[in-house]
Order: sequence, then C-alpha cells, then structure tokens
Amino acid sequence: MLAAFADPVFDSQRNFRELLQAMARPMQPRELPLLPPSPAPIAPAAMAVLLTLCDTTTAVWLQQPNEEAAQHLRFHTGTRLVEKPAEADFALISEPASMPPLEAFAHGDMRYPDRSASLIVQVAGFRTDAGARFTGPGIRDSAQLSIDGLPQRFWQQRAAMAALLPLGIDVYFVSANHVAALPRTTRTLES
Amino acid sequence: MDSSPHLARAQWMSLLAQAEPAELAAAMEAFALPADITWLRPPQTGLYMLRGRVGGTGPQFNLGEITVTRCSVQVGTRIGHAWVRGGHTRHAELAAYADALLQDNEQRPRLSERVLEPLRLALQARREAASRKAAASKVEFFTVVRGE
Repeated sequence: MLAAFADPVFDSQRNFRELLQAMARPMQPRELPLLPPSPAPIAPAAMAVLLTLCDTTTAVWLQQPNEEAAQHLRFHTGTRLVEKPAEADFALISEPASMPPLEAFAHGDMRYPDRSASLIVQVAGFRTDAGARFTGPGIRDSAQLSIDGLPQRFWQQRAAMAALLPLGIDVYFVSANHVAALPRTTRTLES
Repeated sequence: MDSSPHLARAQWMSLLAQAEPAELAAAMEAFALPADITWLRPPQTGLYMLRGRVGGTGPQFNLGEITVTRCSVQVGTRIGHAWVRGGHTRHAELAAYADALLQDNEQRPRLSERVLEPLRLALQARREAASRKAAASKVEFFTVVRGE
C-alpha cells in the first residue's frame, strides 16, 4: 500500500483552498500544491482531490475499480465505494473516452439540488489559448479553455442538462498537477 | 499464545497497546527502525467515544471520550497497525512497527521472547500491584450483620 498526505490535516486544507478557488473561477486551471502517491489508474492530482474531499460520509464510484485502488481509498479516507454511478457523491473518471453518460450520475432533486455527483475527470491536458469560451458566475467576460482527451458527447450531454438548473453536475478536470473546475452554472458560449 | 493467527495478533496488539511507553521503548531497543520504512499513516491523535452498558447487559450509554493515537507502517510487504491510549506518538510508532515485525514468521520467536514476554510480565506485575492495593483497602462490615 502507498502513503497519502504526509500531514493529512494541513495538506488537505491547502488543497481544499485551491479547489475552492478553482470552483470560484471556473475553467481556469490552477496548480495543486501537493500531489500524494496514488495507485493506478488514479492520477496523483485526482488522488489529491479525493483525499481532500472524501471521508466516511461520502460515496465514491470508480470507473476502473481495482482492489489496490479501492483498498488505498478506504484506508486513507474511510470512504464508501459504490457500484452504481447513480449512488456516487464523487465519481472518478480515469478514462474519459469511455465514460458513462452524464445522466447516469445523480443531479440532485428540486428540494436538495446539492445531492448531486461531483465528477473528477482525468484528462490529457489543458490549453488556455484554444477551444471553447465559457461564461457564468466567477468568470469576467469569458474564459477560454481547451480540454484534451474529453469526448465531444460530454459537451452535448452537459448542454442538455443545462435546462435542469439548479440541478446539475459539477466537474473537476485534473491533468498532471493542475485542476480546472466546471460548476453547473458555467455556460458554453456559442462561437 | 492461541494458535489462531487472528486471535494471536489481537493478543499481541493488545499487549503492545497496554504497555507503558517506556517499557515498550526499552524492549524495542534491539529492534531499531530501519530508515526505509513507509509510514502509511503517521501517528495521529484523536478522540474516541467510549461506550458502556450497566452490568454489561443494560442499554448502551456514552461513558466519555478517550484520547487515542493511531499509526500504520509498512515494513517490506507487511503492514503494522497500532491504536494506543493517550497521545504518545512514539508509543504508537513502536507498537505499529512491532506489529509489522511480529507478522513475519522468522522474526516472531525473537520478538515474542525479547519484547512480548517482558511486556506481559510487566503488565501482570502492574495488575497484581493494583489488585493488592485495592485488597489492602477492603473493608469488612462486621457490625451490620442483621437478622438471626
């Protein structure tokens, strides 16, 4: 088994600060200060997010579950692993090309829109000088970000879900040591 | 020690946890921590809620909180865990390391002899001393015999 954060309290607080900031400024990649060791297929940055956000009160779904990753998560976070995407509070997508449709995840209900899933998607890379433009709360004018390795149908499914607001799904994209957040309130601008 | 491996492990973990930190440190002097071990969970101190039942059968109630320090360490392929009462981080580290070594069939006899046995004797001596002290203060109520 592998170790997690060297100092669980302060290290997860430092990462939590960055995740908050990433959600507050959607689609602007930020550097995660601490990357813990992680078993395959979980990337270190995704593990940093999981260790920061998951505990005994959350349910996690792994797209590519294996015994080592499951044991590692259970030991270090005490989290519950679930088999169905719909039961997950956090879902780790390690291979976006074959990810389930967004409708498969919980998007909350009208009384409790917060009872929705947050996805952690491991992508190939970010480029801030290309790709689609986004707007919404937390973005002055517009933000541009191209995400490598994300299937086109993700954007179609997300656009279809936009009508459900305040219901929806929040996404953290991670690549190498960077994280970019896509909360449900962010809209894609038609070019 | 019992032949069942799980019970045996529970017994030595209990013995390591109940040892006085100084006793454990003295017993473990011959087993220095190598530099290349992995601390899966460095010692962390927290609170556990102790629960009890009146007479062992009544409804559960919260007795109070207790300070516990836990620690997990990997030595080679073996993982040692420890939960010890109090906030003594070194105690938790040594107990976890001893638990990892004790799972190794080759190391176990040497550790049983040089660590577990002294700890067991010390624990027994402490229990007997406490029991003697309590017995010395026993009061016989000769005067309140009733009836007859």
